[in-house]
Amino acid sequence: MLAIETRELTKGYGSRRGVDQVSLSVGAGEIFGFLGPNGAGKSTTIRLLLGFLKASSGNAQIFGRDCWNDTATIKHDVGYVAGDVRLYPWLTARRAFQIVGEIRGQDVQPHGLELAERFQLEPDLPVRKMSRGNRQKVALVLALAHRPRLIILDEPTSGLDPLMQDTLADCLRELAGAGHTVFFSSHTLNEVEALCDRVAVVKGGRIVADETLAAMKSRAPRAVSITFADESIAATLQAPEFATLLRRSGKDVQLQLSGSAADLTRWAAALPITDLSIGQPSLETLFREFYDTSPAVLEQKP
Amino acid sequence: MKGLLRKIYLEIRWPVLYFSLGLAVIMWLLTALLPKVLGDVHRVFDKIPFVKPLITALLGMDPGDEFSAEMMQAFLWVHPTVLSLVWAHTLMYCTRVPAAEIDRGSVDFLLGLPVSRWKLYISEAIGFVLSAAVILSVGFSGHLWAASSLQPEMRPGWFALFGILSNLMAVSLAVGGLTFLISANSDRRGRAIGIMFAILLASFLLNFLAQFWDPAKAVSFLSIMEYYRPALVIKSGSFPWPDVAVLFAITMVTWTIGGVTFRMRSICTV
Repeated sequence: MLAIETRELTKGYGSRRGVDQVSLSVGAGEIFGFLGPNGAGKSTTIRLLLGFLKASSGNAQIFGRDCWNDTATIKHDVGYVAGDVRLYPWLTARRAFQIVGEIRGQDVQPHGLELAERFQLEPDLPVRKMSRGNRQKVALVLALAHRPRLIILDEPTSGLDPLMQDTLADCLRELAGAGHTVFFSSHTLNEVEALCDRVAVVKGGRIVADETLAAMKSRAPRAVSITFADESIAATLQAPEFATLLRRSGKDVQLQLSGSAADLTRWAAALPITDLSIGQPSLETLFREFYDTSPAVLEQKP
Repeated sequence: MKGLLRKIYLEIRWPVLYFSLGLAVIMWLLTALLPKVLGDVHRVFDKIPFVKPLITALLGMDPGDEFSAEMMQAFLWVHPTVLSLVWAHTLMYCTRVPAAEIDRGSVDFLLGLPVSRWKLYISEAIGFVLSAAVILSVGFSGHLWAASSLQPEMRPGWFALFGILSNLMAVSLAVGGLTFLISANSDRRGRAIGIMFAILLASFLLNFLAQFWDPAKAVSFLSIMEYYRPALVIKSGSFPWPDVAVLFAITMVTWTIGGVTFRMRSICTV
């Protein structure tokens, strides 16, 4: 059974577009990254999944149940952290374990306290005395304390220091290893690249890419540096169709390779080069293309 | 629901205590002082003409010749400070969910838990009924304390007091139901309180104008104050069933529409 499935999910806010025909499917045990620039529709999609918003059209399901009609039932299996965590000023982690445990009908205190220790969180400190990062930790601990089958995190690392980001990443890997599903949104490429099996990119409310990270990497451009024996050759070099000329400097030429390495080496073999290096696939360049606001890119379909 | 009720208790215990003690002190003071203040009420009416329509509007009847010592106690239950305290609690409490939760952003946490919106709404209503009952009971105890030192003829009977207290509880619930409805349609607590305050003010003004302006009298049934008349309860000595029934109907209709609205609406904190 799929953990998350949406079909042509659409939500508009009057004249503003929220999300437009978003179709996603996330399998159990996956760590799924939902990437996009600010205002792209990530949070709106998550709010539709959690039943906070009613879809204008299309439908969304979690573990086969409708996200709007069965939202309370679904949330027994879901842990959620909002993008901008706002909690009650009087709440402490320990008190929250009691309240959440009573609402969920399970004792979340033991695992909650373990997580609090792991995230270096004082269980008796009220939220009003906490920094933003600590509030984020409370929300994370509460979302994970009942060992949910699906964890939905909306930009969960904002406010966390790098060490806590690593702790969270470890937690999520462990959960995914144990068969739990993680769906998290981010606009930071690095954390998605470090964690995810699969990524969807949303822009302007529409999904513009949905594929495994490996597939994405295979078509990501690579930086190529070539040094020629003679400066005049570098000065007159025409880039092949599978690469784009970025800059020339003396005997050095830099290209962006969008084809295969084999094509490049075949092409370079006929030239008087003294050195050639091919960099790692640059997902960042690929994502910058996705984030580009030009209409041509907006029209891309997954 | 236990967890939700615990959350409500932790959030409202101090405000409810303050409102209760405040009402008890005010009721004690008014009960002890009103007989002296209103002892010469006819002279006050002659000297300050606008006081009579004001008191008439509050009492729901003309205090003219029938204004006995016992009837003076009715003024205690419609005194602006008493009503202000009761309504302040109602407005503050009944805008908690969803307006204040959305306003603060904490609704994301609350709705992220496995709890239906109806359950959340019902638990809030339970909290409201209980807190209103506590505040009115403690306030009433302040009245009882001071009343024990009054002359027996100045004290209304127990049945009349029960009728007035029930009527006040019913009017609180009706105001609460309407406030829940406005809150269910709002993303801002301040706005919800402002709208409800304007409605209460308009309701009082309508009741006031109805005393001497026939067009207003024709529509005075729209004022919630029309169904809260402690002086009539003391005078008749009977339980105000019709008023309580109307207020209960208003409560049920407005609260239910509020619940349906809350269930059906999209909630967005960004």
